[in-house]
Amino acid sequence: MTSRSLTVNLKPTVLDGVVVAAVIAMSVLVAAVFYGNKANDDKLTAVVSVGNKVVDSLPLFEGESVHTYSNNGYTLQVSVTDHGVCVQESNCPTQDCVHTGIITRNGQSIVCLPAQIVIHLKGADLGAPDAVVG
Amino acid sequence: MENFFPITLLIPLPGVKLGLGNIVTVFALYELGALPALAILVARCLLGSLFAGNASALIFSLLGGLTAMLTMILLKQLPKLSIFGVSIGGAAAHNVGQIAAAMITLGNTMVLGYLPFLLAVSLVTGALTGFVSSLLFRAMQQVKLSH
Repeated sequence: MTSRSLTVNLKPTVLDGVVVAAVIAMSVLVAAVFYGNKANDDKLTAVVSVGNKVVDSLPLFEGESVHTYSNNGYTLQVSVTDHGVCVQESNCPTQDCVHTGIITRNGQSIVCLPAQIVIHLKGADLGAPDAVVG
Repeated sequence: MENFFPITLLIPLPGVKLGLGNIVTVFALYELGALPALAILVARCLLGSLFAGNASALIFSLLGGLTAMLTMILLKQLPKLSIFGVSIGGAAAHNVGQIAAAMITLGNTMVLGYLPFLLAVSLVTGALTGFVSSLLFRAMQQVKLSH
């Protein structure tokens, strides 16, 4: 057996920083493309897709309501309130859709992969500032 | 194994995992070469989905794993890059592959909005697996394996 002259570089290098910078740049770019477009003046609406078809368009601020969607043998209970939209209950194994919690802003979405259901918010935001810098 | 570390308590994002299996991939890539590492990866994905009993999970693990593997094979060619850079690049590529799988299975590009968050997390998880792998290599230098 040959002696183990590993050619592995075990200490972080400057070029590693370039990889990190590239990943950050990509992250910012996708975020800018995805969340940067100006919200139109339409009312904030939750668009529900089941499979890959849009099945429902639920406007917010029209009272609270609960809607049920089923696909692939899974059933999701989607709650619409004046604050936003959330998946109240689901019988899917991963529960990622429930754990996503409430979404409130243009561009946000809740995805349930097992059920192939996507809830996407689009329309004008509530007008709240992103951050206050003092 | 990964369920023992509830990382979602630290990072409140659904679906985030440490990617400890990537340590195996990184180690195989350096120690055995690109092709055996690729074979191990595919076998790992097939067995994983066999035991989890989920065909759509196979698309996710395969697309994520292959994207990560190809990226790491390319990054490994760069002599000035350490195991950290390779591991972070692999972790980021893994997320890109999985989001691609999600877009294919959902037929919907909305999941793309999730990618920036996953990429940010992959910096941390990639550095962590890189660190663990570097410890592994250090330990293995003391061990003689007969080929």
